[in-house]
Amino acid sequence: MMHKNTLIGLVIVAMLAAAAYLATGAETRDASPAADSGTADSTVCIYPKEYMQTHHMQVLADWKEHAAHEGPDAFMKTPDGRRFQKDLATCLGCHDNNRFFCFSCHNYANVKPNCWNCHISPQDLP
Amino acid sequence: MRKAGLGLIAGLGAASGILSNPLFERVSASAWASSPKQPGRRWGMVIDTRRCPEGCTTCLDACRRSHNVPTFSDPRRQVEWIHKEDGRALLGTACATKQAIPALCNHCAEPSCVRACPTDSIFRRKDGIVAIDYHRCIGCRSCMLACPYGEVSFNWSDPRPAIKEPTPEYPTREQGVVEKCSFCSDRLKKGLEPSCSSQCPEGAMTFGDLNDPKSAVSRLLGSNETMRRKPELGTEPSVFYII
Repeated sequence: MMHKNTLIGLVIVAMLAAAAYLATGAETRDASPAADSGTADSTVCIYPKEYMQTHHMQVLADWKEHAAHEGPDAFMKTPDGRRFQKDLATCLGCHDNNRFFCFSCHNYANVKPNCWNCHISPQDLP
Repeated sequence: MRKAGLGLIAGLGAASGILSNPLFERVSASAWASSPKQPGRRWGMVIDTRRCPEGCTTCLDACRRSHNVPTFSDPRRQVEWIHKEDGRALLGTACATKQAIPALCNHCAEPSCVRACPTDSIFRRKDGIVAIDYHRCIGCRSCMLACPYGEVSFNWSDPRPAIKEPTPEYPTREQGVVEKCSFCSDRLKKGLEPSCSSQCPEGAMTFGDLNDPKSAVSRLLGSNETMRRKPELGTEPSVFYII
């Protein structure tokens, strides 16, 4: 009799442990797509800051080709595993908190990119 | 005698050619189901012209608003992604109605504009949308000549001042660039329907995946006889009309 009760107890403990394990598993699985979608972390850019300062034009040129041709399938995965939709809106999602972000450097360097001939510049927004 | 015989044969050949190539096509459900298909998704639209009220411009206005389409007063410089034209001009004499019905880019399976574009700025996407990469367009207007439906417009002057209700949600175009309907690929990316079909008050426009037998467009194609614009050209449009 004793033996049977211990068995049942052991089974219950095992089930509880499994439930707890699965529950945490589900939680982490829920959390990862949100992290993947690349909406949140605005402290880190897709590449290191120094690289972006010198090579953002190449990155943007690559993104614009992929975004135009692949549309919703155009994704970029950073080496540390974050996923970004290739879209100018993704860039501006972080960088439009400073409306002079593009312009201060371009004005200083007297560069006139034609992005804003069509895309809506953050400076045009109210 | 020989000549006459040859002439007779040629005449018969021409007649049979005309008869086997009618100027209009009724897309019956079984014919559509058995036609060869490319794998994957193919966005398409079915327009029920019986439910499209005369004089209503809700879809045209919705399109103009959501994509910053400029309004030029000069009819020769008009830029339109979707417009209304009378049924007979659109679908040929087989179409009995003279009522104005909406016409937009057909997102053909065999698009002639794509073949004509020298810079590959018009291309057909995997999901069947014929899209323009405005960055690459050099404004040569070959696509306008090639499109048998006249659905590509050219920006003869800067479109920005001519946009009546600008929206920050979508970019504009610039002078010297062609533009046309994109089947609202920007809205599809967000999981929304195209602005014309989603705002039609009568529900006359149905949008969906033509390759999915369970989609609303496939069901409509199955239960109705539909027509397409200029099917004899073999461009295989993705926009169908119920007359």
